[in-house]
Amino acid sequence: MNEFLTISIYGTAVALMLIGFYAVLAKKNLLKIVIGLSIVDSGLHLLFVAIGYVNNGTAPIFSPEVLGSTQAMVDPVPQALVLTAIVIGFAVTAVALSLVIRLYRHHNTAAIDEIKNLKW
Amino acid sequence: MVISPVHYIALPLMAAFLIPLFGKLNKNLVRLIPGLVLLYLSYISVILMTQVITKDTTIIEIIAGWSPPWGINLVFSPFTGFLVSLFSFLGFIIWIYTYNFKPEVDYAQTQKFYVLFMMLITGAIGVVLTGDIFNLFVFLEITAISAYSLTAFYRERDGAEAAFKYLLIGSFASFLILLAILILYTQVGTLNMAEIAQRVPDMNPYMKGVILILFFVGFGIEAEMFPLNGWVPDVYTQAPGPIGAIFAGIVVKAGVYALIRIIFTLFDVVEVLQLLVVMGLITMAVAEVIAMRQGRLKRMLAYSSIGQMGLVLVAFGIGTHEAVFAAIFLMFNHAIIKGMLFLSATYLVYHSKEKNISDLDGIGKLMPFTAFLFALGSLAIVGLPPFAGFWSKLYILMAAADARLIAVIAIILVVSVIEIVYYFRVLHRIYFKERISTVEIKIPSFNAKFAMLILALVIVIIGVYPDLISGLIERAATDLLDKQHYIQSVLSVGRN
Repeated sequence: MNEFLTISIYGTAVALMLIGFYAVLAKKNLLKIVIGLSIVDSGLHLLFVAIGYVNNGTAPIFSPEVLGSTQAMVDPVPQALVLTAIVIGFAVTAVALSLVIRLYRHHNTAAIDEIKNLKW
Repeated sequence: MVISPVHYIALPLMAAFLIPLFGKLNKNLVRLIPGLVLLYLSYISVILMTQVITKDTTIIEIIAGWSPPWGINLVFSPFTGFLVSLFSFLGFIIWIYTYNFKPEVDYAQTQKFYVLFMMLITGAIGVVLTGDIFNLFVFLEITAISAYSLTAFYRERDGAEAAFKYLLIGSFASFLILLAILILYTQVGTLNMAEIAQRVPDMNPYMKGVILILFFVGFGIEAEMFPLNGWVPDVYTQAPGPIGAIFAGIVVKAGVYALIRIIFTLFDVVEVLQLLVVMGLITMAVAEVIAMRQGRLKRMLAYSSIGQMGLVLVAFGIGTHEAVFAAIFLMFNHAIIKGMLFLSATYLVYHSKEKNISDLDGIGKLMPFTAFLFALGSLAIVGLPPFAGFWSKLYILMAAADARLIAVIAIILVVSVIEIVYYFRVLHRIYFKERISTVEIKIPSFNAKFAMLILALVIVIIGVYPDLISGLIERAATDLLDKQHYIQSVLSVGRN
């Protein structure tokens, strides 16, 4: 059962990244591209949490109960990293969306192949 | 107040968020505070560098009482200190330039500009100072996010398009770097760079290869390495002029630093250095050939900037002490010279809509001061004596000769000729053509002239007396190559 859970979590993470990359590369709409970027990020964040997980582990809080027990703790470092990564991803998405708004007002379209004042 | 490397990160970051509040008190404070902060940073650079050089130590700053390898630590060594001092100094000069840059821009815009400017400086300095690999990623993202916003600063230009392109490529880079950090963490179980460097030799060689490729591509994007540097010319062209100078002088240098730190300290693998030489040569050759075909001044400078970064990578890739010395010297020269070229070029094409080189015909008589500085910068960047650029190119060629890399020397020389051709083409138009264009000219403000003059003086003085700076760079090169010393000095702090 646990093995199935592990495989499905890793599988979901990889699938999310692939879906995100597909959206970034294949979609023409600027908003869909930004959504794609966000999905890639989510996949990576899931991978982070999955890697830090220890089977039957408890929360990594230093308390008297944990001190004497033999029970494993999950690795707190990837969780701390993923929190930071989520905040960064949020900031990038916000900047990307504001750029999309600017582009839409300027060109009156959100299709990426119609915006080509610069060489792509 | 005790001077410590933390000020480099804390003060500009604090200034960035307090600028809007101070603006409520007095509107001039918004423009003054960044300058005061950068002046203070330049001042502590002098003090800390003297301390590091004379006492021959590395200052390790522990953050929040968690000693390494558990907490985040800042490393102020001759190499990182040299880069940070360069960033503070160049940042201060560019602040002088921006002080009266566009008086017609309204207050809200000025405020935004300086907030982002301070964030950009914080991020770039943080990348260089930090001793923690995830923290390096965070600072790289701070730099990148403020760089995206600054690229789209002017509403009337196509900045948003360039910024979106930059954001797509930049997000891909940060995805690769984050993935590499994750895999690295599963292999070595630590994020402290000194401890990673200690444990990497015992790692599975296949995993090592995967991680290294991810880092190489990810940081390669930030360091303008071929082929993922398509964003560079658009970003440099669309961003405000002084920001172009910051990109060329500070942001790219931070990317190169990260790449070099990963390759030299974390993964000590010989094959990567060869790969670095090859990629550097391709980057340089392709960029300089494209630069020759450019009709727009800033695009030409941007491609020239990519070419110079390629040369830096080649020099680092040769890997000997002399070559690393030459590479750091070239990083310094490129920051100063390309910074000045961007600053003067901004005024040369100030009112020109297309920023075409053909608008420069005969401008040498109308704007003698700016045109003269641009000419001086051009001569310096192609490596003519007696300017600063000459020495770095000479040292790179000498290092390549000592390493018996004849093909590398040949390519560098051929590319230098191409470089001379396109810079002299511009100079020819500036000085030897009759003016036919009707574009208005803009005489630089006093601040701008002063800032450009300081950079020009540095170029000439370093060109005549290279010994003024070569001692510092010598120490920086020794420090970068001494991996054991880095590990020792960081981890010994934890044991005490």
